[in-house]
Amino acid sequence: MRTLVFIPAWNEEASISAVIADVREHLPQADILVVDDGSTDATTATARGEGVLVATLPFNQGLGAALQTGYLYALREGYDTCAHLDADGQHPAAEVARLLAEVTADRADLVIGSRYVNPGAEAASDDYKPTLSRRIGTSVFRFFLTLATRQRFTDTTSGMRAANRKVMSLFSENYSPDFAEIESLQLAVREGLRVEELSVRMLERAGGTSFLTPVRSAFFIFKGVVVLLVGQFRPRQAEAER
Amino acid sequence: MSFLLTAASAADTTVSLTPQTRILAALIALCFMLLILDLIRRDRLQERYSVIWFVAGLGMLAGAAFPGLLKLVADLMGVRDTNVALFSIVLLLLLGLALNFSVIMSRQAAQITRLAQERAIEKARQQASESNGSGEQSLESKEQRL
Repeated sequence: MRTLVFIPAWNEEASISAVIADVREHLPQADILVVDDGSTDATTATARGEGVLVATLPFNQGLGAALQTGYLYALREGYDTCAHLDADGQHPAAEVARLLAEVTADRADLVIGSRYVNPGAEAASDDYKPTLSRRIGTSVFRFFLTLATRQRFTDTTSGMRAANRKVMSLFSENYSPDFAEIESLQLAVREGLRVEELSVRMLERAGGTSFLTPVRSAFFIFKGVVVLLVGQFRPRQAEAER
Repeated sequence: MSFLLTAASAADTTVSLTPQTRILAALIALCFMLLILDLIRRDRLQERYSVIWFVAGLGMLAGAAFPGLLKLVADLMGVRDTNVALFSIVLLLLLGLALNFSVIMSRQAAQITRLAQERAIEKARQQASESNGSGEQSLESKEQRL
């Protein structure tokens, strides 16, 4: 069983080393690939210095394109399973290992790490606390995605996922460059893949700030809803091939 | 009162291009087509994107040369003023062209993304084979897997 853990990174030189060390500790068998999405800082050099593989995109193209690069690499190099987590230190590698175990046990094709599934859990002091605009966006997306997929999702924008080869081949061909997380979930469910959410612990970000301001959030939410609506009318791949 | 009546009777007759505007339109159409030919000649415009512009130039020329054509189109559209017909046709044409360009742009954006990804993957693959050759930790992990 070969596993690739890839980490999309855009200007994350401050936190990338710690994330790599964390993955090495909890997933010693996995190969690590950092996908540098056109960083202007030393992300590529830092990651190379850590001795992991680095795929450097020549210019910034958005999270979706970076994630797709990871899926494409995993597919081409024949990995059985893959997983990705954010480079800012919000995602503990121990939790990624739990997601991977679900895929390895073949209980799901795609497993999403959710920070919301289990709200009753005791919160540690460094646990993730969402902001108001984040909470509004989350509930709007949750509502529409549940409507679109008829499956309950709580953390639609989670960037911590594990997947098998079915998902790799789907996502390496179809992955929206600017609405990666949400549209990909809709796509996977529409293609009949088994998508599952797992409650995970997430931390406050170690470095950098979120790109979301209230106005941007509103626009982001509006765009997301449009994308979901359009996605409902896309032809299914399985049908198109018939 | 009388000027209102004359205005009303003038509106009843169809409004069409004057000879002056027809000559001007024909000249502009010719210049436009020459410009396109020149752009193709100097490799500034690919042939496949020039066809639509060439057709547009020919349409302009035809409209200027045969005003009856424009009048026919206006009648078909149920428009009394041929100028209004002309404007609405041109507007729709431009709208279609803009949409066409958006489609082309989207395709090219997807192609550029894929190109960048292929290059990034190639580099990572190269790095993987190099580190395998010099026997670093990734070779160890490969042995562990085997």
